Amino acid sequence: MDSSNDEALDIIITNVVATFRVRCHLNLRTIALEGNNVIYKPEVGKVLMKLRKPKITASIWSSGKIICTGATSEDDAKLGARRLARVLQKMGFRVRFSAFKVVNVLAVCSMPFAIHLIDFTKNNRPIASYEPELHPAATYRIKHIKATIQVFSTGSITLTGPNVQNVATAVEQVYPLLFECRKPLRK
Amino acid sequence: MSSKVCKNCGSSDIDVDHARGDAVCMTCGSVLEDNIIVSEVEFVETGGGGSSAVGQFVSAEGGHVNPSFGDNNHYQSMGRESRAQTVQRARQSINTLGHQLQMNKHCLDTALNFYKMALNKHLTRGRKSGHVIAACLYLVCRTEGTPHMLLDLSDLLQVNVYILGRTFLALSRELCINAPAIDPCLYIPRFAQLLEFGEKNHDVSMTAMRLVQRMKRDWMHTGRRPSGLCGAALLVAARMHDFRRTIKEIVSVVKVCESTLRKRLIEFEDTPTSQLTIDEFMKTDLEQESDPPCFTEGLIKKKVKNLEIELRKKMDEVEDEIHGYQDEIDAELECVRPKLRGVYAAYAKEVVVNEDPVSSPKSDECEDPEEDDVLQAVAKHFGKDVEELTLEALLKLEQKKPGEEEENEQELEGDIPKRKAPSLASILGPMPTAATLGLPESISSYIKDGKENDGDGDSGELDLNGIDDTEIELYLLSDTEIKVKTALWMAENSDYLKEQKEKEAKIAKEKALGIYKERKPKGPKRKYPPIRASTADEAIGKMLEQKKISTKINYDVLKDLNIKPCPSPARVPLTPKKKPSATRLTGRNRNPAKAPLSLSTPLSSLGKRLQPFISGQPNKKMALEQISNSNPLPVPVGNPAGGGGGGGAVLVESGPVVYDDAAAAAAAAEEEEEDEEEACVSAFDLLGKYEYGSDGDYDD
Repeated sequence: MDSSNDEALDIIITNVVATFRVRCHLNLRTIALEGNNVIYKPEVGKVLMKLRKPKITASIWSSGKIICTGATSEDDAKLGARRLARVLQKMGFRVRFSAFKVVNVLAVCSMPFAIHLIDFTKNNRPIASYEPELHPAATYRIKHIKATIQVFSTGSITLTGPNVQNVATAVEQVYPLLFECRKPLRK
Repeated sequence: MSSKVCKNCGSSDIDVDHARGDAVCMTCGSVLEDNIIVSEVEFVETGGGGSSAVGQFVSAEGGHVNPSFGDNNHYQSMGRESRAQTVQRARQSINTLGHQLQMNKHCLDTALNFYKMALNKHLTRGRKSGHVIAACLYLVCRTEGTPHMLLDLSDLLQVNVYILGRTFLALSRELCINAPAIDPCLYIPRFAQLLEFGEKNHDVSMTAMRLVQRMKRDWMHTGRRPSGLCGAALLVAARMHDFRRTIKEIVSVVKVCESTLRKRLIEFEDTPTSQLTIDEFMKTDLEQESDPPCFTEGLIKKKVKNLEIELRKKMDEVEDEIHGYQDEIDAELECVRPKLRGVYAAYAKEVVVNEDPVSSPKSDECEDPEEDDVLQAVAKHFGKDVEELTLEALLKLEQKKPGEEEENEQELEGDIPKRKAPSLASILGPMPTAATLGLPESISSYIKDGKENDGDGDSGELDLNGIDDTEIELYLLSDTEIKVKTALWMAENSDYLKEQKEKEAKIAKEKALGIYKERKPKGPKRKYPPIRASTADEAIGKMLEQKKISTKINYDVLKDLNIKPCPSPARVPLTPKKKPSATRLTGRNRNPAKAPLSLSTPLSSLGKRLQPFISGQPNKKMALEQISNSNPLPVPVGNPAGGGGGGGAVLVESGPVVYDDAAAAAAAAEEEEEDEEEACVSAFDLLGKYEYGSDGDYDD
């Protein structure tokens, strides 16, 4: 049985977070003064630099570790990271691009039906949790692929996972469970 | 316990004798139970004629059997297990909070059990105890189904409700306790009570409950706070029963925002149930269910978006039509004066060819008024152009009468339409080009970006494939810009920079002085007041009161650290402090006995902890141990049996301890610390050979 419907569900990736290292000590003040789109936070000890082309924001620490957020795909994240390293290279630091790793991927998906959250939580007792006082969505954590799914009653779900493949697997896994607790819509 | 049927013969005639503690079958004579445990209170006659109950007091929380003969205050401060103390503290907090929420004892006990479970799983580490207690209480509320909200707890504790919620979720996940979902119907009686409906309380509650159930079927309750729904239901129910409850009153009771209430009411209004009358509502129940309101809103938004897109398309079409008309008009206009073009084409080549100058002024006249506006507009633009001369000439000529000078007019005419041809080029001239906008000139670089090389890996080399250097250059400022930015930044952050400089200066100074220490956040050090006593016994006694005794030290070993009795006053101050140094090894804090200790107090009253310290005669077992082990003791074993009195003193001193002023005490304290270290080293070796823990056998 094809778990994803006849009409394919659109999984839209909204955010990819990646980290990498440049293997050299960075002088944050130099970056702050020579860079074009930078925000320097001396209290925390990091510099935020925003790139336009793949639209990403990078947090740069003086140890040479950089976190890159805002990309819309894994490739984009990698490209942005390399661009960033190039900028730093031009500033005069001896950068070596290494240890690039995608850490978190956030995706949204919309089901064509509404979901009864209380039934959903009851059916999947320890894995799903729902606290209406705190958050309007039910949280479903899949441990072995390390993905978290937030299910809203309107049928839209947000997924977070360590990479895009996991996220796709998570959707496949959760779809039948959601289908059981669906609410047939009246038009 | 009591078996009503004999195992051997099956008869139910059993005689239970409590005095002997037997249960005997009367038919076959077999003894079924022996030494029956009885729960009766027995009294014993004490000296003096009074009678006291037999038994020892064992408290419910600790469970230790503390021999407290005569003085029952001891056990509290006797130094119990840390775990017992934690549980005791938790019990008190739970009881306090629980009473404020009017929870019954059963719930409080369950909460304490949850807390113990959490303690065993080390879930209390890193969390504020207040949060954990509150989470345990809320867990109980949810499992029992009491109408307590997380908001109430956060009100009492003045803590953010989401923080409490996080703790609660973590606890429930770790303890695998699945709390059932909140039913808004649970809250209705509680809120109804607060709204004071008097006699009709029950009716209003019932109506409100029906409303809530209806809301549930209409999918208004998923993802919403249950209190909001209750508020809306109660409002409507109150109005149905002719109670005037304003929104403000309800808000103060239910603790949701006014706008939330209004929204819920509007959503309810959208459902078909709202169209029923009161009587109809009470009797019937509509079958159909409506969609969740947020879903409907989403649909509406989608529709609106689609509409906008369609409208925009139509707009575009309309605009296209208008442009088409414009173009036609322009074409027509141009057709009207074809000859001009010819002249001006020649003019444009800077060849003055006077072809039909007559015809030009005629046509020019009629066009002058039209072109006046164009002139004005273009004039400004042309101000920057090279053809300023002609422009000025034109402007001058404008003011003059047309037709005054043929040449001028010709020039004028020549220039006016001529302006049209070069005007486009000149207009386009100062327009922003791709370069000034900061965009790369060619699109090819963008097309290249698709291909990337994953060969970087850990080699560290930056793969420049797909990175356009010129674009990267834009991310860096030029030198002048850098200077300006530096100046600005320095000005902005002058305070922070000053602080940093001061800090560095301080550290440098300390380093120079040689007293620079790595700053470690240390807890406050416990300062003990110097002990003043006249005899060694008093000194020991006072020291024991101050310092804490640990359960994990083998005191017999420590006793062997005692020094020989030394007559020299120099050594004298050392000896009483040797004791405290030895006891401070483990650093565990215990409350020493509060009663003044002296050598005359019976050993047993001091409890098992202090006995090894004071016992005059070591157990034979211990002596054997000591003999069997070769202890590289720097200090000769003191004579434990020396001294007089019951429980001879471990130390024998020749004279009273001499106390100097505070300076000496401070020096002594320093010595003490050093001693501690030395003692630590040697004691550690010792303790490594014995097992931990105090000896359990004492002769009573």
